[in-house]
Amino acid sequence: MVTFIIRRLIGTIFLLIVVSMITFAIFFLIPRLAGQTTYQLAAQYVGRNPTRDAILQVERQLGLADPLYLQYGRFLRGIVFGAHYRTGPTDTYCPPPCFGYSFRSQLPVWPQMVSDIPVTLSLAIGASVLWLIGGVSIGVLSALRRGTLFDRFSMAVALAGVSLPVFFTGLIALELFSYKWPLFPNVQYVPLTTNPLLWARNLVLPWVVLAFLYAALYARLTRAGMLETMSEDYIRTARAKGLPERKVIFKHGLRAALTPIVTIFGMDLGLLLGGAIITEVTFSLHGLGLFTVQAVNNQDLPEILGVTMLAAFFIVIANLVVDIFYAVLDPRVRY
Amino acid sequence: MAVPIDVATGPGGPEPTPAPAVAGKAIEGRSLGQIAWMRLRQDKVAMAGGIVVIFLILVAIFGPYIVQNPLTYHENLIDPTFSRPFGTLGGISTAHPFGVEPITGRDLLARVVNGARVSLIIAFLSTALAVGIGMVMGVVAGFFGGWVDSVIARAMDIFLAFPLLVFAIALVGVVPSSAFGLSGNSLRIGLLIFVIGFFAWPYMGRIIRGQTLSLREREFVDAARSLGARGPYILFRELLPNLVGPILVYSTLLIPTNILFEAALSYLGVGIIPPTPSWGGMISDAVNNGIYSVDPMYMIIPGLAIFITVMAFNLFGDGLRDALDPKSSR
Amino acid sequence: MRRRRLYGLAAFGAAAALTLAACSSGGSSSSSGGNGSGAGSAPAFNSGVTSVVNPSTHKGGTLTFDWRAAPDSFDPGNTYYAADWDFARFYSTALMTFKNCPGACGKTLVPALATAPGVASDNGLTWTYHIKSGVKYQDGTAVTSKDVKYAVERTFDRGVLPNGPNYFANLLGGNAKTYPGPYKDRSKNLMGLTAIDTPDATTIVFHLKAPFSDMDYLLTIPQSAPVPPSKDTGASYQTHIVSTGPYKFQSYQLNKTAVLVPNTEWNASMFPTVSQLPSKIVVNMNMNPNDVDNRLLAGDAQVDFAGTGVQAAARAKILSNPSLKAQSDDPITGFGWFFYIDSQVAPFTNLACRQAIEYATNHLTMQNAYGGPVAGGAIGSTVMPPTVAGYKNFDMYEATTKTQGDPAKAKQLLQTCGKPNGFSTGLAYRSDRPTETQGAQALQQALSAVGIKLTLHGYPSATYFSNFAGVPKYMSSHNIGIAMGGWGADWPDGYGFLSQLVSGPSIVPAGNTNIGMLNDPKVNDLFTKAQGITDATQRNAIWGQIDEQVMKDAVIVPIVYAKALIYRPSTLTNVYFNQAYQLNNYAVEGVTGS
Repeated sequence: MVTFIIRRLIGTIFLLIVVSMITFAIFFLIPRLAGQTTYQLAAQYVGRNPTRDAILQVERQLGLADPLYLQYGRFLRGIVFGAHYRTGPTDTYCPPPCFGYSFRSQLPVWPQMVSDIPVTLSLAIGASVLWLIGGVSIGVLSALRRGTLFDRFSMAVALAGVSLPVFFTGLIALELFSYKWPLFPNVQYVPLTTNPLLWARNLVLPWVVLAFLYAALYARLTRAGMLETMSEDYIRTARAKGLPERKVIFKHGLRAALTPIVTIFGMDLGLLLGGAIITEVTFSLHGLGLFTVQAVNNQDLPEILGVTMLAAFFIVIANLVVDIFYAVLDPRVRY
Repeated sequence: MAVPIDVATGPGGPEPTPAPAVAGKAIEGRSLGQIAWMRLRQDKVAMAGGIVVIFLILVAIFGPYIVQNPLTYHENLIDPTFSRPFGTLGGISTAHPFGVEPITGRDLLARVVNGARVSLIIAFLSTALAVGIGMVMGVVAGFFGGWVDSVIARAMDIFLAFPLLVFAIALVGVVPSSAFGLSGNSLRIGLLIFVIGFFAWPYMGRIIRGQTLSLREREFVDAARSLGARGPYILFRELLPNLVGPILVYSTLLIPTNILFEAALSYLGVGIIPPTPSWGGMISDAVNNGIYSVDPMYMIIPGLAIFITVMAFNLFGDGLRDALDPKSSR
Repeated sequence: MRRRRLYGLAAFGAAAALTLAACSSGGSSSSSGGNGSGAGSAPAFNSGVTSVVNPSTHKGGTLTFDWRAAPDSFDPGNTYYAADWDFARFYSTALMTFKNCPGACGKTLVPALATAPGVASDNGLTWTYHIKSGVKYQDGTAVTSKDVKYAVERTFDRGVLPNGPNYFANLLGGNAKTYPGPYKDRSKNLMGLTAIDTPDATTIVFHLKAPFSDMDYLLTIPQSAPVPPSKDTGASYQTHIVSTGPYKFQSYQLNKTAVLVPNTEWNASMFPTVSQLPSKIVVNMNMNPNDVDNRLLAGDAQVDFAGTGVQAAARAKILSNPSLKAQSDDPITGFGWFFYIDSQVAPFTNLACRQAIEYATNHLTMQNAYGGPVAGGAIGSTVMPPTVAGYKNFDMYEATTKTQGDPAKAKQLLQTCGKPNGFSTGLAYRSDRPTETQGAQALQQALSAVGIKLTLHGYPSATYFSNFAGVPKYMSSHNIGIAMGGWGADWPDGYGFLSQLVSGPSIVPAGNTNIGMLNDPKVNDLFTKAQGITDATQRNAIWGQIDEQVMKDAVIVPIVYAKALIYRPSTLTNVYFNQAYQLNNYAVEGVTGS
């Protein structure tokens, strides 16, 4: 078991390195392939409307004209050891992990991301609890009451939920429940430590909007999984053995149906931790998703690079956790 | 953002259940296709979805020739003080059945119809790309196994590790406005098709790989082999026909995902370049200009268009999957 | 050019609430008596444009600023936003400033840190200023002329402080061309810039490369506010600014919230142009613009920092409700939106082709694109807006009379320039600005009516001038003949508005803002002439002539003189619009309980 985990960990680190290489290559290679000069690239690092001198200084300072492998090495070194940047009378030390220094906002990228993580975390975890409980229970109920009005209705709603764009539901929710009828005015993030009640109240709308989409998905998933499991032979055996129906459903049926759900949940959560971009943009929540969008808007390459890496990191870690969880659950899955 | 495909036996899930049906080598009776078609026909809801899909495709192909010019301004229909159309519901009238756009006065029906064309083109082509790559990779991995399989599986892992939306946004931001010989919307559309399709292939790839792996162990393959058939023959005559079913189903289910994805990218401002209309772009405009509070129809109509399109594809795809899966009894 | 707040993707438009503090009729914190009018009458729509609304000397309370964005920097030496420059007077004191009064009076120069306006000598090549003695920083240390010199030196290191304007490096003589900035300065006391002398602690002397009569205006920029060298930390100075104004920073969470409290070392009698009324100032940044509007309407905040007007939703509410409308102003801000025609890109090398564009433009749809007559602005016919000193009213191409353009005349001119069936060219715009995106589409549609086919090219604002529209070679090689733009003067006279837009010498290979590539000797000569004239009235007359010549050359097509629908809550005191800051005068505002 332990060797399995260690092997997966090594694989994960390898995966992360590959992702970082590809990301780095894309952001530094593609512009060059498309005909951009390093001068133009440097301009994307500096503040707005930079002067020629500023751009040349930055170009020199960041070594943008160096060969790609050198720049990548510097990037890796920054993540592991930190880096120094000239920001005035003394240099600023950007401690590891240093994903670069954004000259536009005059801050290292990592602290900016760190301050945005709690928002995304609150949003993702809150919504995930809602959708897991809501989606799975509705799916189970629908499967058990297959063909009834409840089943048809909930599946219809689920289908609608999967077909509605998140920003559409979000905007309508915002307009109705925040502006027109101020039940949830001022959807702004309040840290949990400052005021838990306000924290929760301001997140209700984003939670519900986000959870609605996923709950619909999971309801359909769970229902399909349950239907499949419940039609298996061993369920019939369990019933024949005289087990109470409840035990049959939960201990045998649901457990088996849940394994694919868990995998997907892990991946979805991992993806969401990288930034529930659309929800954050719609509700103006300052998490990693909004950070990404603003970074792209501002053409701020260090920030774009940093947040892409962080998002990939979350996904890979989520994958790892799910794999380990699988290995614990299912002894066949050791390889 | 989640990829809202139904994943029970769909893309992105764990190793899916084995292929639905055995190849129809029955001597008498109906072929798989005929059976599936019959079951599908009985599924009223799925048929309704299918009809809507066909209708939308027709609208996308022929609609732009029927409706007004989506680029013509009608500034006399706009109240300049408030930047919104005169009249209720965003200026709905006989001349403009969906009303007009705020600020510009452009006919909304025309813009929605033209937006359909763009959305469907991107969705279909990116799906084709994903299916194409996914099929090749999946079959190769499943059929040859061994180290080939490991490498491809690793590659799929790597692709799945990329935060898709983040990447798409960042990539569109990185590529200059004219590159690789293209510029403007042709470059942007190509980029979108590439990003959406290229990062979706692992979903297809995984499924195909799973299907191939299980099919490979079936008796009919053994039978063919015992008759002297070799690799390519087995591949093309035995395996691929059986893959058509799942490929069809998951393609149909991938399309709505890609429609939503493109709408999301347009909403975030990295989609289609104006003035070409796109559904997500219209919603984005409604937000960026703060108009959606004063003219909600401008946001609701494109939103409904997206919803109906995606729903129709989902319904049809669900029905198709049910029809091709003999174990499912509706 | 001073920037308006940019619209990001997540920004839903700018709601600017500028509330200007009015000079109180009790003669406490205003610079001169009898300024403004109507102090004491019930405020109505647009009262704040011509008079001081809600004048009061009431001290106390918390003045809350809500902002949809965040500053490029609060560091007075590293910022280029109009709103930042207005707000900076709370914690920094530049050499000169503007008079506290509404209307045209607000453009009058008055000394702030200086004792009097500068004295020019040497035919305008040398300018001498004296600093008020006894001015202290928030920690009690004295301000000397060396600190002002140091502040100017900081503007030379663009790698560390890239945001502010570049005037000093361009105008100063001595070793200004090669001076590397104070962080690489090896000289004693970091006073290596030879273009500035500090003969004693209260005297500072500027040596210029060429005569520059607008020196007083130049020194209103926060870059001239003193910075103590020992406390300067470069890029991070913005987190612990040493204040010389009525307030000092108590806390600053970068891009989130800033809290300012009264600066006890500040001497009110020395600085009549700013007030110390509220007991606390709070700035909330990166807020949702609709939230900002709602909070203003509810009274939870008093000022919209950005100053560019409310969103469409609030606009509808305010304009349809008479009591709300009475609490709003719709001033012409002094910002102008227009588009350039690049005279180096064929066929715009031919004057008639450029003039055809002037006539083909549909000014009405363009105005709608920018927000309509209330939120966008009045249709423009000159480069300079009416609030800039030197504005001359003329309408060469019938923009205000034939608001939907004159396609027939345009076609005639196309014939003259040899393109009777039109032509194709590119149009550059900033894709993250919703108004500009709309404007580009409107222009494309209007020009298509006369056969001119425009291909739209959207670029991000951050690199628009440095990599694309502002790179003449790029424009020519990509056949982009038209570029959207806008301008807000760095100071409210013709030089501040026009010099970087239309003067030949201002053309640079990257970061160019003379995108029309105008190098007209007539225009250049007028600029030189103006710099030699010391009399303000005479000088201002020349700006109008330049404007006319530029319009004759047809390298700029004005769209609107920007307006902003600004809401002022009833709890805000001393509110009025100041034409120099193009915003409400923040530094005199206060807050009452009711």
